[in-house]
Amino acid sequence: MFTHLYYFPFLIHSAIIYWILPKRTLRTGFLTLCSLAFIWYFDYKAVFVVLGLTAFTYLIAMWMEKSSNTRTAHRIGVIGLLMILIAFKYLGFLNRTIHSLLGFITELPTFSIEKLFLPLGLSYIIFKYISYLTDMHWKIVKRGSLLDFICYGSLYTTFVAGPIERFERLKPQLEADIEPFKAEYLETAFQRIVFGLFKKLVIADWLGYFINPVWSRPDNYSAFIRIAALFGYSLQIYFDFAGYSDIAIGSSRLFGLKIMENFRNPYFSPNIGQFWRRWHISLSDWIRDYIFFPLSQNKKSPFWLLFCVPVLAMALCGLWHGAAWHFVIWGVWHGIGISLLQTWNLIKKVNKGKMAFVNTVWFTYLSILLTFLYVTMGWWWFR
Amino acid sequence: MEEKLIDYITHEFVTDDDVEITAETKLISSGLIDSFSLVSLQAFIAKEFGKQIPAPKITAESFDTIRQMIEIINQF
Repeated sequence: MFTHLYYFPFLIHSAIIYWILPKRTLRTGFLTLCSLAFIWYFDYKAVFVVLGLTAFTYLIAMWMEKSSNTRTAHRIGVIGLLMILIAFKYLGFLNRTIHSLLGFITELPTFSIEKLFLPLGLSYIIFKYISYLTDMHWKIVKRGSLLDFICYGSLYTTFVAGPIERFERLKPQLEADIEPFKAEYLETAFQRIVFGLFKKLVIADWLGYFINPVWSRPDNYSAFIRIAALFGYSLQIYFDFAGYSDIAIGSSRLFGLKIMENFRNPYFSPNIGQFWRRWHISLSDWIRDYIFFPLSQNKKSPFWLLFCVPVLAMALCGLWHGAAWHFVIWGVWHGIGISLLQTWNLIKKVNKGKMAFVNTVWFTYLSILLTFLYVTMGWWWFR
Repeated sequence: MEEKLIDYITHEFVTDDDVEITAETKLISSGLIDSFSLVSLQAFIAKEFGKQIPAPKITAESFDTIRQMIEIINQF
């Protein structure tokens, strides 16, 4: 969407009007209207889904606020949001999986579940709203005004490809006293957008020009070329997504909003755990906070903690990316990587003082190389 | 509280004998503590100080040093 012809004229005009408006509520209201218009332009049906999801989540939030025990309302809210996500995104996937399983048992009657349309940005908004309700349940954030909440859910600069910002961080910015436009906003926005466009249009698209033919007809190429295409894809997906995130962060800054960073040189990570702290940070934080930690709490079994939790959490992370088994396998690949890392850390702990080589510079370089190779091999499943 | 946290982190997570943990040592951003260890640390805080810290508060920005940990613990 960011590379659409009308995106930047729309961004510039909406930012100018935004700063002319004299009141905070007018600015937030205008930004929300712009966001809904943006979504309407690309997928008008998604606007109704956004409004419906917002109404449902906000009503649950009001219920949680009035209730002394927020657990029931929180559970209903989260289950409701997940059911909506499943209905729109995963019915076709479930249908295919059930059919392939039933294929082995011919006596049973087969049935069909129709897939609904997939509204624009659905996975992102559902994760944002689950984090909102859970943070309310954990008493980290208060309900906020309906206008601020709908602005948070629909914000067009982050709607399509994140970052999956938390309401806790955006709410104080939307509630802050009105302030005049600062040159720093324009400077940061310009810098991030230009870097983002360079990453996306120059590096990622240029890499795609070379590797896409290999991926579409791999049998026509030698093993060496196919491996080179895998490494090319590893770089392409980074520059493409990091470029998008730069444009999203820069565009938001044009409205004075500070959105969380999504990438921090992930391919220089010395282990897979560090990689996930630097790659798609808003998603990995989400997985960590709302899946990894809750699954780990009150469980003592080392097998559960070391293996099941990372694999399960990352399998769900894979499934979030798309309704297909190859995404799940990609997630499991990373889950196994994290599990191996945890085991390695335990070995280091047991052999404290006996493994001095792990603190040497060459070992760090080797770790960075191995992590990059492991992640790159994982992309084979992802693509 | 500070002493207990230093003792626990030094004993449980530090594998390099040369690293000395102080109230200002960066623990998460430096990679000294990983996500798995943070779960153990969260459980330790709950057991030792009776405070359940929500996961979104246990980040490299707000929970990186023992000084920051104490601030967050006191908020709950």
